[in-house]
Amino acid sequence: MKKFLNDPKDFVDEMLEGIYAAHPAVTYTNDDKRCYVTAHPKKGKVGIATGGGSGHLPLFLGYVGDGMLDGCAVGGVFQSPSSDQMYEVTKYIDQGAGVLYIYGNYTGDIINFDMAAEMADVDGIRVRSVVGNDDAASSIVGEEHKRRGVAGIFFVYKAAGAAAAEGLDLDEVTRLADKARLNTRTLGVALTSCVVPEVGHATFSLGDDDMEIGMGIHGEPGISRRKLEPADAVVDEMMERIFKEQDYGTAGEVAVLVNGLGGTPREELYILFRRVSQLFAARNVKVKHVWIGEFATAMEMAGASISVLKLDAELDRLMAAPAHTPFFTHVGR
Amino acid sequence: MQAVNASDVVGLFAALEHTFATQREFLIALDGKVGDSDLGITMSKSFAAAHATVAAETALPVGKLLGKAGLAIAKAAPSTMGTLTATGFMRGGKALEAAAAIGTAEMAAFWRAYRDGVQERGKAKLGDKTVLDVLDPIAVSLEGSAAAGEPLGAALAKATKAAEAALEATKLLVAQHGKAAAFQEKSRGLQDAGATVACFIITTMSTFVNAA
Repeated sequence: MKKFLNDPKDFVDEMLEGIYAAHPAVTYTNDDKRCYVTAHPKKGKVGIATGGGSGHLPLFLGYVGDGMLDGCAVGGVFQSPSSDQMYEVTKYIDQGAGVLYIYGNYTGDIINFDMAAEMADVDGIRVRSVVGNDDAASSIVGEEHKRRGVAGIFFVYKAAGAAAAEGLDLDEVTRLADKARLNTRTLGVALTSCVVPEVGHATFSLGDDDMEIGMGIHGEPGISRRKLEPADAVVDEMMERIFKEQDYGTAGEVAVLVNGLGGTPREELYILFRRVSQLFAARNVKVKHVWIGEFATAMEMAGASISVLKLDAELDRLMAAPAHTPFFTHVGR
Repeated sequence: MQAVNASDVVGLFAALEHTFATQREFLIALDGKVGDSDLGITMSKSFAAAHATVAAETALPVGKLLGKAGLAIAKAAPSTMGTLTATGFMRGGKALEAAAAIGTAEMAAFWRAYRDGVQERGKAKLGDKTVLDVLDPIAVSLEGSAAAGEPLGAALAKATKAAEAALEATKLLVAQHGKAAAFQEKSRGLQDAGATVACFIITTMSTFVNAA
């Protein structure tokens, strides 16, 4: 393992100290660095909280900022934060209009966010939850509730964040977040493993020439492991699975996110998007919004995921809205 | 006393804190046989925190106070049993939102919500050798007493007897959840540690109400 570390056990807290030192737009509450919140909560706006394990930057905390989220409970590497941390974030970001939780479909996160919502209820704070489950490789059609949340949660954040910034109420922000969730599909492919600092060695092994389609962002097993193929063939297989699940019609519109898992250069991500754009063009589907880069990583894992959001007029409007966080800027139109 | 009023709640939690401080070592030893021995520590911390919280809250209705006690337990003890106990008090408190005081019917509603909340969060079934095996007879006994119009003191005494019998019966069961599940047959013969906690709570409530 070659990593820039002091003590592996300080990995998360020292990362946070660096972020707070760099970005005065964010701070923490309850004297706990892992209760990460915006420094400028807006009175009367629906608060949006997320949370989850560390090791995925810019997920999860990177989306706290203007036009996006208001707080994030930060866990250890690949570990859920505690319900108390989520509750403290909730208390801070509630500005009288209630709080929406948006997080990925993982058992620990579900238990703790449910508990936090219950704790907030004692204080009279209204909480709703939308649980991201975009990973189309993690369970079959008809069992979508078992699917993991991966990079496509970005679209849910973007929709909810823009809706809350417009001043919509909690029910409406929740409806729009859920609509983005239901219309998002992601397929990922891993080329190498990742190393959890406190473990110190690779989480799993993947042969030098192998790829694994559908692998999760913590190294959960995918659906097919075999020899790495040319980029176009890999994209064709990923997109075929996505096209099977969602009908984009002809003259439909989509937003596309090509996400690097941490160890793949942007050049390669553009090579992937090149093929994605060809496939949509062949179907006469317009790719209206494109984001390419690192949005949800798995430490140094090499690989990428493709997320597609099927647009309608209101999702289009929310994707177009401006946003600005320490890790993500969208100028808007 | 005929009913537990908001002003009585602080006394009740003082009694619960005392119970779990007294039983700390017993619970540590019991949990140590098939668990990780932290139960005595978690529960004494939990009820110390809950007592401090209700003592600091003035002018809240009785249901809200119980909810706040649950919140304090959740913050003080993020362990499995702490979370389940916190859920029980928060759900029970919410069920009494409209109540001015806790009589037999309200006590039954409290324990029904407590029981259902724990089952929902813990995902255990009856007979899995968990706290649910004591919570269920408590709720059923109190609901029977409420239907029969029994006074609170008598109802709690009866529920305590039901809880004690149910706790004894957990000795015959094999653990299906948590660290104890790994011990399987070895867990037979031992009373369940979480169920013991529920038994202490109802016993303390009964003693508190019947002494006043």
